[in-house]
Amino acid sequence: MVRLKQVSKRYTAGRNRQVEAVRGVDLSVDKGEFVVITGRSGCGKTTLLNLIAGLARPTVGSVFVGGQDIWELRDVQRSFLRNRMFGFVFQYPSLMPSLTVLENALLPTIFFPGDGDAGTRSRANALLETVGLGDKCSMYPRQLSAGQQQRAVIARSLINNPEVLLADEPTSNLDEQTEREVISLFQDVHASSGITVLLVTHASQLVTHGTRLIHMSGGEISSDNRHGTSEKGVRPIELIKND
Amino acid sequence: MNLAKLALRNIAHKSVRSAVVVTCAALVSGLTLATEMLSTGMEKSLELVRDHLGADIMVIPAGNQTAVEQALLMCGPVEVWMPRQVVSQLQDLPGVEVATPQLFLSTMRGASCCSVSDMFMIAFDPATDFTVRPWLKQNLARELRLGEAIGGHYVKIPEDRKNILIYGYEIELVGNLERTGSNLDQSMFFTYETALEIAKLSPMQAERELVIKPDSISAAMVRLSDGASASQVADLIERTISGVVAIENANIFRRQRERLESLTESLATLNIIAWLAAISVVGLITSTALSARHHEIGILQAVGASRLKVILLVEVEGIMLALWGGTIGLALTAYTIFLFRNLIGSLARMPLYYPELGSLLMKCLGILALVTASIGLMTLLPTLRSACQEAGTTMKDK
Repeated sequence: MVRLKQVSKRYTAGRNRQVEAVRGVDLSVDKGEFVVITGRSGCGKTTLLNLIAGLARPTVGSVFVGGQDIWELRDVQRSFLRNRMFGFVFQYPSLMPSLTVLENALLPTIFFPGDGDAGTRSRANALLETVGLGDKCSMYPRQLSAGQQQRAVIARSLINNPEVLLADEPTSNLDEQTEREVISLFQDVHASSGITVLLVTHASQLVTHGTRLIHMSGGEISSDNRHGTSEKGVRPIELIKND
Repeated sequence: MNLAKLALRNIAHKSVRSAVVVTCAALVSGLTLATEMLSTGMEKSLELVRDHLGADIMVIPAGNQTAVEQALLMCGPVEVWMPRQVVSQLQDLPGVEVATPQLFLSTMRGASCCSVSDMFMIAFDPATDFTVRPWLKQNLARELRLGEAIGGHYVKIPEDRKNILIYGYEIELVGNLERTGSNLDQSMFFTYETALEIAKLSPMQAERELVIKPDSISAAMVRLSDGASASQVADLIERTISGVVAIENANIFRRQRERLESLTESLATLNIIAWLAAISVVGLITSTALSARHHEIGILQAVGASRLKVILLVEVEGIMLALWGGTIGLALTAYTIFLFRNLIGSLARMPLYYPELGSLLMKCLGILALVTASIGLMTLLPTLRSACQEAGTTMKDK
């Protein structure tokens, strides 16, 4: 489904200072996996998600989605692929403040219209119902709590029936109770639709929720475990949790 | 939900930025239209009056050029006299084909013996006239008779009267000329004979006597023979006939045209400054707004907006604001100039020709296109810069 081949990403930070956020990463994610990516702040987790989604261009290496090198595509083709293949949940508030909750949920559909207005509208309503915001459709983001906003973002991320859900520290701004609700929502979505989930977090209590755990350090993948079993000679999951 | 609706929501949400862009667009479009309407409107009026004079050379008493030109332009009162024999002297000069006399008269202000106040009137000699009669032919199939007048386009008989009362004399309005857009539209024309009749009866019928100096005229209009040089004949007139000034058609209203050029230059300078200031403000505000919108643009790209769609969205916002502001500025300017056109004309001491609706709309569309293109371009540059950054990088800036 998603494959990264010797991918590195360098940024210019400050006065010509080069920062290598991701170094020589090889990664393959299969359909239906629930991958939890952990690591300290600045270890390259967010950059890795951006590389997977084509929001950042690798300095070195290639990113394949569905067997296609996404940087061989034109911008509009890559945008279409992102629109149809990926759903995004960010760590910071990412709803458009000028749109209602329902309109925010419909946002991805305006760039590449598909099912027609009525079809997408009823799907958006159903998704908002699923995430518990059925009665908040006409409200604006400022009228919602942080947890409700994040649930609205999850509804938006699912509007185009994506195959991969990318979540970048989606619970970092939430209290424990809301965090549990949001994570439970991710698990429900994963269980019910078989969607592939890549969840970035530095919260140790979340690492047990996935089917696969990747730990990053210094821009590299330092461990990669499926169902708690050690692969490729990386450290056991318990050790990672204690980092 | 579509891109235009999203643009509208963004405009409404970012009300301060929107208000600044709308104001800039309104200001530059309004100022441009005002400059265009004032300069071309006044120039057009000068041309119209000059064309309607219909003479190659106008001969008037020396020292009265400004007063006569001003009276012709603004149709205000003027009293200038020169001997009628000037006409025969002119007729004898080489290069002069026809010379015809004219009397410039005006009604009294606020007097009950005149049913219209401050009206400019021209009396002509039907036997020799070549300036007024051509217009009359188009509107009246016969010669004007004693006691009859033909009015400019806006001259009307007062509702409570059957005729127009001038110095107590009931003058019959037998027709109106087509609209010229100049102050001649509010003037009246009758024969020399009628003027003398009004003057003769005015001591008995009016509060004040209409005085026409015996054997005097206000001006003489000259038509040149084929091949004659206007400047040479004008020079000859001034050398041969004492106490007169001969003004070639091309030089009529020269002072007014010079004043108009100076006014247009000032307005154009003001216009350029306003354009530069407004465009800079729009560029700056768009650039600042886009810096603040990096995060939003990153999210749009993350949910599938291509660079082109992002650019299109920001451009649509800019163009909508430019169109609104431009339309408001143009409508307000056109309406204000329409309301105050007479006042503007009085202040500038030149009549202001208000354009026909079609011509005004064409001007407005042109200016609107220019304003929209300018604001669109100023929006495009920072948008291109922002949209061409990696979404991942712009979102990291958050």
